[in-house]
Parts: sequence; structure tokens; C-alpha cells
Amino acid sequence: MDILFFKIAFLAYFLSTIGYIASILVRRVVIAKTSTWILFSAFAIHTIYITFRWVKTGYNPVTNLHESLSFIAWVISGSYLAFQMKTKTRILGSFVSPLAFMLMIVASAGLGKVVSIPVILQGWWVAIHTILSLAGESLFALACMAGIMYLIQDNLIKKKKSYRFSRLLPPLGDLDRINHICVLWGFPLLTLGIIAGSIWARTVWGSRWQCDPKQVCTVISWFLYAFLLHQRLAIGWKGKKAAVLSIFAFVILLFAVVGVETFFVTMHSF
Amino acid sequence: MSIILIGMNHKTAPLNIRERLSISCEDNDALKVIKSISQVREAMYIATCNRVEVLASVEDVEKGLEKLKTFIFSHGNLSRGEMKECLYVYRDVDAVRHLFRVASSLDSLVMGEPQILGQVKDAYRHSVEQKASGIILNKLLHRTFHVAKRIRTETGIANNAVSVSFAAVGLAKKIFGNLRDKTVLLIGAGEMSELAARHLLNNGVNRIIFANRTYENAVRLANDFHGVPVGFDLLEDKLKEVDIVISSTGAPGYIVSEEMIVKALHRHKNRLMFIIDIAVPRDVDPAVEEIDNVYLYNIDNLQEIVDENLRSRIEEAEKAEAIISEEIISFTNWLNTLEVVPTIVSLKRKSEKVIERELEKSLSWMRNLTEGEREKIRILASSIVNKILHDPITSLKEESQNSGADPYLAAVIRLFRLEKGE
Repeated sequence: MDILFFKIAFLAYFLSTIGYIASILVRRVVIAKTSTWILFSAFAIHTIYITFRWVKTGYNPVTNLHESLSFIAWVISGSYLAFQMKTKTRILGSFVSPLAFMLMIVASAGLGKVVSIPVILQGWWVAIHTILSLAGESLFALACMAGIMYLIQDNLIKKKKSYRFSRLLPPLGDLDRINHICVLWGFPLLTLGIIAGSIWARTVWGSRWQCDPKQVCTVISWFLYAFLLHQRLAIGWKGKKAAVLSIFAFVILLFAVVGVETFFVTMHSF
Repeated sequence: MSIILIGMNHKTAPLNIRERLSISCEDNDALKVIKSISQVREAMYIATCNRVEVLASVEDVEKGLEKLKTFIFSHGNLSRGEMKECLYVYRDVDAVRHLFRVASSLDSLVMGEPQILGQVKDAYRHSVEQKASGIILNKLLHRTFHVAKRIRTETGIANNAVSVSFAAVGLAKKIFGNLRDKTVLLIGAGEMSELAARHLLNNGVNRIIFANRTYENAVRLANDFHGVPVGFDLLEDKLKEVDIVISSTGAPGYIVSEEMIVKALHRHKNRLMFIIDIAVPRDVDPAVEEIDNVYLYNIDNLQEIVDENLRSRIEEAEKAEAIISEEIISFTNWLNTLEVVPTIVSLKRKSEKVIERELEKSLSWMRNLTEGEREKIRILASSIVNKILHDPITSLKEESQNSGADPYLAAVIRLFRLEKGE
């Protein structure tokens, strides 16, 4: 039953991706609007799927790669839809929708597999740690995307070229706000996620901090986000610098989440 | 019955000729005169600053056209030779196409401008009020408004600013998104900067500060726009408060230096700033452009946007022409069915009469039946007749679409012994 929901959501993500890309190619708002609705239904069905999984597995909806990716796709689409309601930034959808779809493709590889969860990963703290961290990371991903779009748009307006392309992108002010709100919300989520993780690490590994490469990378990027928030809130940073820093911080975070294992030996390999 | 359109526009006639015609036509209600021409069944008269046109449905094209031309010559007070060079005449499909193009602003001086549709609507309203419109013009004009609306929504013909001041507003929106809580500083005065200020106000800008070397001028402008006047001594101070700067003074050197902007931004907490320099020679130091979060545009930059937008409108016009061709087909189909309509009506009327008569004859034996049963027989009779007539009527309509209905019409009239106008 839950697999069916995953498949329907998958299809809906696919359709909205096609729709968004088509809307850019033929420049028709109607198609983009329809795509937003399709994405919305994809999100709704995806929500049902995740709820099902949650009930089925008992306590933790996010344990393996399949679930993590599908969860990230869910958070990203959900946040985008929330922004869509607040600001007219439909074009962001043509970045978010394909991303969510790609995550779903990779996630579908592990579809339906019932993984026996190792004892070390059982417990409420793991669930809280993974859910909060992944939600925070997803918001940072969105912030990074808004930041990239900001830099593109900034460059187009500065260089006074390609007005046609610049017309497709949202206004700088909106992009900056999305970037800010995503960091603002993502930061406490990641912070709590890290705290939950360290509490649990103490119970399993005996100490809160292991100097593991993954932990180090995450903490570095956490400091970068903290710095960014401070500059924004206290100094009044806006625009380009904030965009650049949010992209840079996300690259490090991404390395912490997926890249570390290829280069270092880590005890946190999940 | 044919549709003709006769007139002149900014491309074919110089202003002084258009002027004479449109003024003389305004004086003595042109539509009444046109309507009084015996050949003209329906008419509409459009006069704007760029065109004077008469749209009419006439019974005899040649005669009607001749009389309409005479009307225009006499009203323009011009020699035939002079007028003939400026005048264009379209018939039937071409007339429909021309009207569609005019209303969709494809034929306008500034392609995509929105006023023309309203002017065509006014002209049509006038025609309706004067009872000069009939079945063809009503359908044609409603179709025209539909086409214009389709083109407006389905193509980008009306998108993107084609004037410098609108381009500036477009850019401001591209930078800030919403202009509601933004403040504008207008340095100096001038037609273009005032126009830009007006557009910005229409787009919801919060406040405008007017700075002028002569304080009285600043006060005058501030009164016009409900803004705040300041002298040049406060210029640097005010830069801290504003998001958009429009400068157009006659000063020989730079009025806004890089240092001033850096300072303003520092106090301004690094907000975004959009500076429009439409002065020649320039008012704002070009080095300002290098500062982060500052976007500086001069008059040439804005003109480039306008040029590009005009080019993209021309591209969009091709899409619009395709829509028009499509709509012309559906309109001419309707127009063609018009010729078979009277025959179909009389055919139906005749068959209804037959049913009526036969039912009357059967009344004697039907008396034994209940009301319900009699009703059923009546329904049966008319449904049999309708079934039989359905195919010939459909075929007639189909033939009319290919404008080959004449022999069939003659045959139907002869076979069913229909009297004309029955």
C-alpha cells in the first residue's frame, strides 16, 4: 500500500518537473501554475507515504538511504510550496521540482526494502537526530539554491545583459528573503539535530564528541551558518555576501553528509 | 453581403491628412452619414490619432465602396489623387484580418500598446448606440475582442517595457520584488525623471524625496507628487534613507560620488540600491557600479533594454499573426454558414407546418387517447422529421464551410418547394 503512494508521488514529481521545464521553454505561466499544483499533490501523496512508513516501522521514519532521500525531497518541496504561497517565485519550482525528482529516483532504488535496523540506531534520540538534521539540511539546500539564483540574477543585472533570461528569475529581494528565511529556520533545526545526536552518542559511544571527520565538517559548517546569521541579523548583511556564504557553508555541509565517507574513515557512516 | 474596410493610418497617410479627416468627421457625426448610404447595411467608424477607418457590411461591394470613397474624399476636403495614395481598402477576409490586427495592436505605431483595444470598443459602442451594427458586425466585433484578449494573454506582445521610464520601473521590480516599502530619491527635474517617478508611485512606492539645487523647484515637485522636498545640502544625508535614486540634473560633473554611496550603504545596513542616471553628462560616478548590492543604470543602458524589448515584441507578433489566421478561419466559417441559415430555417418551418397539419387531421381518432398518449405521438412525429432533416442540414452547413453551398441550396429549395423568405 505505502509503495503505491510512493510510486504515485514519484510520478507526480516527474510530471511537475516536465511541466516546469516546459513552462520555461515555451514561457507560458499556465503550465507553470499547473506544475505547481501537480507538485502540491506530489507533496500531499508523499506526506501520506511518509506517514504510512512511520506507522509501519514504528518509531523512526528516517533510517536508511531510501528514507533519508525521500524525506529530503519532501522537506524541500514542502518549503518551496510554502514560499510559493508567500512570494511569486514560481521559477524556483523549476529548480526544486527536478531536484526532488532526482532524489526520488535515487530513493526509489531502496524502495520497499525492509532493512533490519542495527541496535545502535534504535531509539528516540536517533529518530529526532536524523529528522531534525535532515530537515535543517534540506532547508540549507534550498537556501543554497536561492543563493545560486541570486548570484546569477545579480550578475545579469550588473552586467546589463540578457534581460530575457533575467526576466525568468525572481527578483533579487525575494531570493535574498528566501535565502534568509531558509537559513533562519534551518539553523535551529540543525542545532537541535546536532544536540540530539550528541546526547545519543554519549549513550552509545560513551562521549558526546568523537572528533570524527563527519562531526568536524558538520560543526565547521554550523559555525559558518551561525556567522552568516549573526552578520545578517546584527550587521545587516544582505544580498551577495550572504548568498556566497550560504553556498559555501552548504558545500561543506554536503561534504559532511555525503562526501566524508569517500575520503576519511568515519564511525558515523550512515 | 460583404465586409469592407476602408481607411488610412500612420503608415499610409501623413499627419496633416489624417488630422483633417478625423476632425471633419467628428464635427458632423460621420456614422450617421455613412449609415445613410443606401448600399451600407452596417457600419462602424474608428478615429484615433493614428488612424481613421470605416468598417461596413455592404450589399454590393463595388457600389458601396465607390460611395464610401466619395464620402471620405468629401469629408477630408482633399483631392482624389492625394487621398488615393493614402487610402487602403480591404475586403472580406482581408478586412477581418486588418480589424483583428488593429484591435490586437499589431498595426499600432508602438506595437502592443494597450489603448487601441479600448478605442475599438468605444467605436463599436457608438455604432451599437446609433443602431448601425447588425448581425455581422456584432459577431465580428465580439470575435475581434476575443482575439485581442487571446493575443494579449497568449503572446508576450504587451509584455516588457518599451519606454525608458517603464524600463526603469521594470528593473526596480527585478531588483526589489515588491516596491511597497521603498523610498525614492529624485535628484534634479526633467520630463523623463518625473515620468519615472509617476510610474514608481503607481507601482506602490512608499515615498519620494525631491532634491533640487533650487529649493523652490523641489517644493513644487514635492507638492505635485505628495513627496518631501530637500535642498542639495542634505543630499548626502538623504542617500542613507533611500532604495532607488533617479538623477537627472544639468550639472557638468558628478553629483553622486562613490564615497557617498559607500557611506550611505554602510549606514543603510548594506541594503540593495538601484541608481538610475538619466543625465547627460552623467551625474553619478560610474565607479559606483563596482560596489556590491548597487545597480547603476544610465540612459544608454535603459535604451538598450527598450530596444531589446521592442525586438522581442516583433518576435511575439509572429505568434499573434498565427492566432489571427486561426481565428479568421473560424470566423469565415461562421460567415459562410450565414448564407445557408435562411434556407435551413424555412426548411424547418415547413416541416413543422406539415407535422401540425397532419396532427390536426388525426385529431378525430386521437380523441380516444389520453393527453399523455397524444403528447407521445406528437413527440414521435417531430423526432422522425428531425432525424430525416438532420443529415441534409448538416451537409448544407458543411458545404457552406467550403463555400460550395450554392448548388445544394438551389436543390434544397427546388426539391422541398421552399418559397424564398418563407
